[in-house]
This record gives sequence, C-alpha cells and structure tokens, in this order.
Amino acid sequence: MSRPVKVYVVDNGGQWTHRIWRVLREIGCETKIIPNTTPVGEIDADALVLSGGAPRIAWESPKLGCCTDYLDHFHGPILGVCVGLQLMTVHFGGQAGPSEVPEYGLSKLKVIDEDDLFKGLPKEFLVWESHNDEVKATANFTVLAMSENCRIQAVKHFEKPLYGVQFHPEVNNTEHGEEIYRNFVNVTRSR
Amino acid sequence: MFDAEKFIEEAVEELKRRIKGKAVIGISGGVDSTTAAILVHRAIGENLRCVLVDTGYMRKNEIENNEKMLTKLGLSVLVIDAKERFYKKLKGVVDPEQKRKIIGELFIRVFEEVAAKEKAKFFVQGTIAPDWIESGGGLRDRIKSHHNVGGLPEKIEFEIVEPLRDLYKDEVRVVGCKLGLPPEVYERQPFPGPGLAVRIIGEASPESVKIVREACAIVEEEIERAVKDGEMSRPWQYFAVLLPCKTVGVHGDVRAYGAVVAVRAVESLDGMSAAYSKIPYDVLERISVRITNALKDEVSRVVFDVTNKPPGTIEYE
Repeated sequence: MSRPVKVYVVDNGGQWTHRIWRVLREIGCETKIIPNTTPVGEIDADALVLSGGAPRIAWESPKLGCCTDYLDHFHGPILGVCVGLQLMTVHFGGQAGPSEVPEYGLSKLKVIDEDDLFKGLPKEFLVWESHNDEVKATANFTVLAMSENCRIQAVKHFEKPLYGVQFHPEVNNTEHGEEIYRNFVNVTRSR
Repeated sequence: MFDAEKFIEEAVEELKRRIKGKAVIGISGGVDSTTAAILVHRAIGENLRCVLVDTGYMRKNEIENNEKMLTKLGLSVLVIDAKERFYKKLKGVVDPEQKRKIIGELFIRVFEEVAAKEKAKFFVQGTIAPDWIESGGGLRDRIKSHHNVGGLPEKIEFEIVEPLRDLYKDEVRVVGCKLGLPPEVYERQPFPGPGLAVRIIGEASPESVKIVREACAIVEEEIERAVKDGEMSRPWQYFAVLLPCKTVGVHGDVRAYGAVVAVRAVESLDGMSAAYSKIPYDVLERISVRITNALKDEVSRVVFDVTNKPPGTIEYE
C-alpha cells in the first residue's frame, strides 16, 4: 500500500499507551488511541496494538473491554503488549498469572527465534519491563524471546498475524524498540 | 515525525479562536509553562497576564531570576508571595498525595483571585502528557496527582486551557526553541509543580525547605560545573531529596546526629521511563563533601540513588 499504514492503539490504561502512539507516529503511521470498549466494527485500522495496563490478568480481564473481540474478529495484525500479550495467549488456550519474579525496569532479552518481530536485530539486547503478571504457558503460539526471570517474553501465533511482547518496545530506554514496531508495521504493509 | 512549526501555527490559531478577552497563566519559568505563555501571548498579546507564585518551595533565587527572564521575554508578570499560605496549609501534612492535592488547590485559589481582579475568564497552564497520564483516571492507575491535573479542586471558577497537553518534554523543548526562547530556558531541567515540597519526605516545613533548597543548589552547581569541565554529560534531571531519618556522624571528635540527603540524577527522553545517571565518583564525592560541610548542623550523610523508573519514579513523592 502506498498510503500510510493505519495502526490504532487500544488503550488498556497503561502508563505507556501514549508512548506507543508516539512511536507509531514517528515511524510514519497514521495512528490514534481508541478506548478498549470501541466495537470492532467501528475500527477502520490496518493493524492494532493492544497496550499494557494496570488490570491483573487473572481477575480483572473484564477491564480489558472488547480486546478478545479484536482477537477473534479484527481482520489485520495485532500486537499485544504486556497485559495485551497475556490476554492474547490466555484467549487461545494458554495460561497467565502472577510472576514468580516480577520485572521492573532493566532486563536482558534473549531472542530465540527472530521471526518477523526481531528481524535484523541482535540476539541479545536490553529492554524495559514493568509487569506483575506473566504468561505461564502457551498453546498455538511460538515463543520468540525470553529473559532470565520470564520464559515467555515474545510470541507469534502459529497461523494468525498475532504477536505479543511482555516487555515494552515503546519505551525510549528499550534498545531497538522502534525497530520492533517497524517490523510489526512491515508485516502489516506486506499483507 | 513531530512538526513543531505546524504545531505552533495550529495552536496559536486555536488559542485565538478559543480565548475571548483576558487570560491568566500560572507560570513557573520552567520549560512547559514558559512555552505555553509564549504561545498564548502570540495569540492574544497584552490580554495575557502571567502569574508567578512564590510558594515558598521554589529553588534558590528562582523567583527573582525567573521574573527577570519572563519580563525580558516581553511577558507581563505578576509575582504573588504566597509563602505563608502554603506553609500554613502544609503544616503537619506528611502524606505525599495529600501534599500534592493541597498544593494543587491552593495554586488554583491564588489564580482565581488574580483572574477575578483581572476579569479573566480563562486560565492557561503548561500541562504536558505525563502530567495527566500519571494522574490517572478511568482505567489508568494514579501514580501521582500532578498539581495541575489530579490535584485540581472540583469547583473551579474559570475555563482551563492547556495548549501543550498532548506533548512530551522533548517536544515542548523543540517548540520552545522554535518560539525563540533562549537555550537556558528550553534546555532547563524539569522541576515539579509542587516544587521542593515533594523533595522533602515528611512534613515540608520552612526549616526543611532551607535544607533541601541548599542541597539542591549544591547538586546543580557541582553537576553543571562537571559538565562544563567535560567530566560528564548533563543528566536529564538532577537534584537532592531530604529523607525523614537521622543517622550518626562525627564532627571534630564530637558526635553528630543529622538528616540524610539523597542525590538523584536520571537520564530520560520524556520522563515516562528513566535510567539513573552514572555520575563519576569524583563528582559525587564533591557533592557529598559540600553538602555535609555547608549543612553540617542539619545533614550527616549523603547517599546516591541508583533506581531506574520503573520501578522508581524520578521524584520521590
């Protein structure tokens, strides 16, 4: 497509929702932040990013509004960040809950499979985290990256264009964060 | 990419359309409020009155210096001495959120009084994105009530205008630069609205303010000198915090028992995440020696904070 890719940010109440919007704008996307209660039929985007947020996956998932509708019915790629990733994996048969060792701030990411998200990036780099919960097990997803205290840091669905990251590529301190969003946008563009 | 010139053009048009008659702006002389003032001044000119409140929690010589700087920029500045009002309201208050709310409300009351005198129906403030993001609301958890958002009272006597609401600090700096502010203004390090009150853990008494004000001045001077001498690059933000505990020291063979001052310096782009600054040990040592000597009767120990954001925040409260 020659027009800018339209990627909307679904707001799950994260501290960094607005940062995702900013990074997408900086890499040339048409973007806006939408409430997570927006009906899927009203979304005219090419791709979605589900933001992180304070809701706890095990007992507060109703606060994540229509996010599961987007996972079932949205036509384009979706990137879930933090609680967005957790919801995505649980929705397709995985498990998530409180982390044994929560991570806040600096952490080292180890890429297992570069796939689309980590294309052209180093095998190890520093990322910024902020999570109390984590994905414990996945079904239907390939695990793409891990950290010392969290085995599932990034995933891709076996068949659908669904991606998830536990860390926060939109945070300025995360190395290669903007490139991860670019890679996600490239997936959208090449469809 | 953020286009500052387009932003300025659109913001000035919008302000011209929205503000009818006179407006009052709460100004501190920091990057955000000064940039907002210049934008509004471009839109409504002499109808803008800038109110600089001396809360008693400003840094060393800050009110005098900022009044001069703002006047030089062509703004009409009114300084209000509200030190005693702030000290009185904060007496005995130790909870950080309560402090922020009291300060937020008192700011508004002072601005309302000026607005009533000036017959202004509009009140401008330099709110930027992290202020309302961190103040919470709806799904978003409240990290801290920024005085200009979460700290606002429910009933307010004027219409609030926030031209920089969707920008981050680094973008505001670009706008400030394009508006012709001097580098010492648009490059200035952030300073919280509640001022030194949130750099005193516990009661923000006038006595504690004196200590933290001097400690902050020393941190700023030493770091800025080290930057000038090429020992380090300038951190995004750097300051001192007065902790609410005492520790033992020894002064000239005599027991001392004084407070602990924490030195905080961070690297950031927009304040939404931050890494602590790797300040050279020599610079830290000079800061420590100066603080413990200059404030010998009050401070017995200096520590350096090595916490990132998250899990910490940049300021302590």
